[in-house]
Amino acid sequence: MEALRAAFDFSDFRPTERWVSRAVAAFLLVFPLLPVSSFAMATMIQFLMFSLYGMGWNTIGGYGGQVDLGKAQYVGIGAYTTAVALIRWDVPFWVSMPVGMGFAVLWSFAIGYPLFRLRGHYFAIATIAASLVLKDLFEVWDFVGAARGLEIPAHRFATPDFVRLIFKEDVYYYYVLLAFFFGGVLYMNAFRKSRLGYQLRLIKDNEDMARSLGINVHWAKVKTYAIATAFVSMVGSFHACYIKSIEPEDTMSLDLSILIALMAMLGGAGSLWGPIIGAGILIPLKSYFKEWFGARAGLVGMDLILYALIIMVVSAAEPRGIWGLVERYRARRESA
Amino acid sequence: MPALLEVMELTKVFGGLRANDGISFTVGAGEILGLIGPNGAGKTTLFHCITGFHRPERGTVRFDGRDVTGLPPHRIARLGMARTFQTYVAGGDLTVLETAMVGCFSRTASPFRARSRAREILGFLGLAGLADLPIRDLPVAGQKKVALATALGTEPKLLLLDEVAAGLNPGEIGELMDAIRHVHEERGVTLIVIEHVMELVMNLSDRVLVLDSGRLIAQGLPHEVAHDPAVIRAYLGEKYAARYLGEASR
Amino acid sequence: MDILVSSVVAGVLIGMVLALVALGLTIIFGVMDIVNFAHGEFLMLGMYTGLLTANATGMDPLLGIPVAAVVGYLLGVACYWGFIRFLLRGPMVAQLLGTFGLMLLLRNLALLLFGSEDRGVNTGILVGRSVDFGMGVIVPATKLAAAALSLVSFAAVWMLMNRTRVGKALTATALNAQAARYMGIPTERMNALAWGIGGATVTIAGALIVNFWSVNPYVGLLFTMIAFTIVALGGFGSVPGALAAGIVVGLLTEIPGIWDFVAYATEWDWMMDVPVTSFKYTFVYLAYFVIMVVRPRGLFGWKH
Repeated sequence: MEALRAAFDFSDFRPTERWVSRAVAAFLLVFPLLPVSSFAMATMIQFLMFSLYGMGWNTIGGYGGQVDLGKAQYVGIGAYTTAVALIRWDVPFWVSMPVGMGFAVLWSFAIGYPLFRLRGHYFAIATIAASLVLKDLFEVWDFVGAARGLEIPAHRFATPDFVRLIFKEDVYYYYVLLAFFFGGVLYMNAFRKSRLGYQLRLIKDNEDMARSLGINVHWAKVKTYAIATAFVSMVGSFHACYIKSIEPEDTMSLDLSILIALMAMLGGAGSLWGPIIGAGILIPLKSYFKEWFGARAGLVGMDLILYALIIMVVSAAEPRGIWGLVERYRARRESA
Repeated sequence: MPALLEVMELTKVFGGLRANDGISFTVGAGEILGLIGPNGAGKTTLFHCITGFHRPERGTVRFDGRDVTGLPPHRIARLGMARTFQTYVAGGDLTVLETAMVGCFSRTASPFRARSRAREILGFLGLAGLADLPIRDLPVAGQKKVALATALGTEPKLLLLDEVAAGLNPGEIGELMDAIRHVHEERGVTLIVIEHVMELVMNLSDRVLVLDSGRLIAQGLPHEVAHDPAVIRAYLGEKYAARYLGEASR
Repeated sequence: MDILVSSVVAGVLIGMVLALVALGLTIIFGVMDIVNFAHGEFLMLGMYTGLLTANATGMDPLLGIPVAAVVGYLLGVACYWGFIRFLLRGPMVAQLLGTFGLMLLLRNLALLLFGSEDRGVNTGILVGRSVDFGMGVIVPATKLAAAALSLVSFAAVWMLMNRTRVGKALTATALNAQAARYMGIPTERMNALAWGIGGATVTIAGALIVNFWSVNPYVGLLFTMIAFTIVALGGFGSVPGALAAGIVVGLLTEIPGIWDFVAYATEWDWMMDVPVTSFKYTFVYLAYFVIMVVRPRGLFGWKH
């Protein structure tokens, strides 16, 4: 109950931030009503998805301070659970999604428990290793279509189908996802003010002190990891219904894991708005780069080169991301 | 009355070094025990062994009737033992209040209650005005006080303070002594205090333990220990101790 | 029986080469605690260098090795001065993502320059020849040469690290950068040198590997992960550890062969049905995981 109140309570943010977020929220609500191209709509949907991925990552990577580069495996678990459930047994989205989250959380406990004994780079590489192992398994497992992947035959269903989440027009997907997006933001708001949220912040700073206060650091990290995976799996399920064609190479690849981590890091890991800002910048950038450069022959990979350069510049210049820049600017203004 | 804390034959070895060598003592409920000794005597190591951060090679620790030797720190903390650290690493963006809240979270899951409890504790330690400052903006003395407040949030039966007075000026030391007395009397917390600031230790403690090179070389009332030749030798070294004690030097 | 012996031999040989791949990574990590995601891309560029030198000069690919070494050294040093040293100041997240960005950059530059098709070496004195050791063990001469040259490189690096002043300075920086600085060792230059040596050794490995493994811009990641596993097993920072661990990991990649042997010997048909070959490298990733859980320090590591 208290958590619910906490979720809606944004009072500890500055007025400017609150106004900007209200404006953005309003914009997001009316966006589909504006005359926008289908490309823009698709980009916006990607933005919302990646904001959510980023928020999930932020739980363990930002607040928790453990860099996780294997999130894509959970996207896969969510996507495949929903896809398989729908194709084989006609299970509605609203059932398969929580089931997928359940599988994701179970897997996260299985690898999280040993994983969290590691720190720093070792942890990061281990997350990559685990993710690649799972991907390799999916690539040979016929039940999930192996490397060919799965296709959800949309024509089979009468759209709009809210039960199975199959729609012909992006608009429906957009609003469903937007609901998830707002829910995600509220959840994260409650999370950072919860007991676990505070404990994580101390753990990040000073693990020994946290232990001396009775906090089981290992378990706190495992729990947080589980939350992050549930988030990511949820969006993965949505991904399956939206893209309708999934295969290990695009739902579970290392590139996707890195992209997710990057959203949060670019925007500012450890802050509520960070992942959203990060996604807001990177997704349109990525989409439009691809549009401009991809079409031109001979410039293959140019979009990725630019994208790589952005990553490099941000990591070297302001690792705390855009939000870090904002805070630096504020600190300077206040001390002046 | 059974002792709150019993340490028996505690030995901790690092490579070739016996940081703690066969240390035994007890602490009764409601006592304030001072722990002094030259640098490197093994005082902080002793704390680490008692609170579960180090696993002793030999010996046992009994807290409140339970054998807690080798238990992980968070388990021991939950049984009612809290501590502060010699060096407080303040890195992130937690405010004073938020840090104190983490201590309170060990007793309640509700952020609302944790916040009000934390405010209360900060209040009686005189930190109320600093509640919303980031802890890294505070001077070391302030940070240590916040660490004390945080540890108190866990409502411990036994509190181990590691050099909380280091770096404080006399006025601050006086304030701290009052706060510790208050904690002891109002909240009935038993204390073990590592200190180099003799004024604080000698005036507050009911009893004092002296460590040197890993061994317990003296224990007793503050003024007894202050005049104990072994203790004087430990601090001043043979030559000066001999001169001070009026013994002929060889 | 033949399968087993030839699998083991193949495993050991490839292991020695993989060890060389990992050597650079362990040196860089030892000296400055940064994990280089772009390591495999350096290898890939080494492979292209070896290939292009051979094609351009019409000479034997093995002669491309010195060229690759120079390219690798320069590339490593350039990356350090131009980018890595800025990363070192920041938090670990930034370092990981930064070297990942470097990986993407190098990979896509290669894509732009060389195209995406597989390319391999098909001329040279050793190509197509094999050595017969008896017992049904036939080893391609290229692999044998690669393993031998890899050992030579290892010996050279070991001598450099332990017998020369520069090497000792490097080790000193690795052990304690601050203290090294007080001793007058120019740590920034040591860092650059570490990157140079790291780059050179891995590009040499690339030039060796391209003789029996075709190259395309995407091979980097696999080798990066293999290198990480080797370094983790051997101990971050340990040169002999890298060699020992490399051989072990090389054997791991031959598990399909060993599996087939066991399946054959025991006549457990179910073993035949498992698509083990697809899992060739999965075992390597699994191994990393297991190592980190069981013995994070690795076999010989002194840095954790």
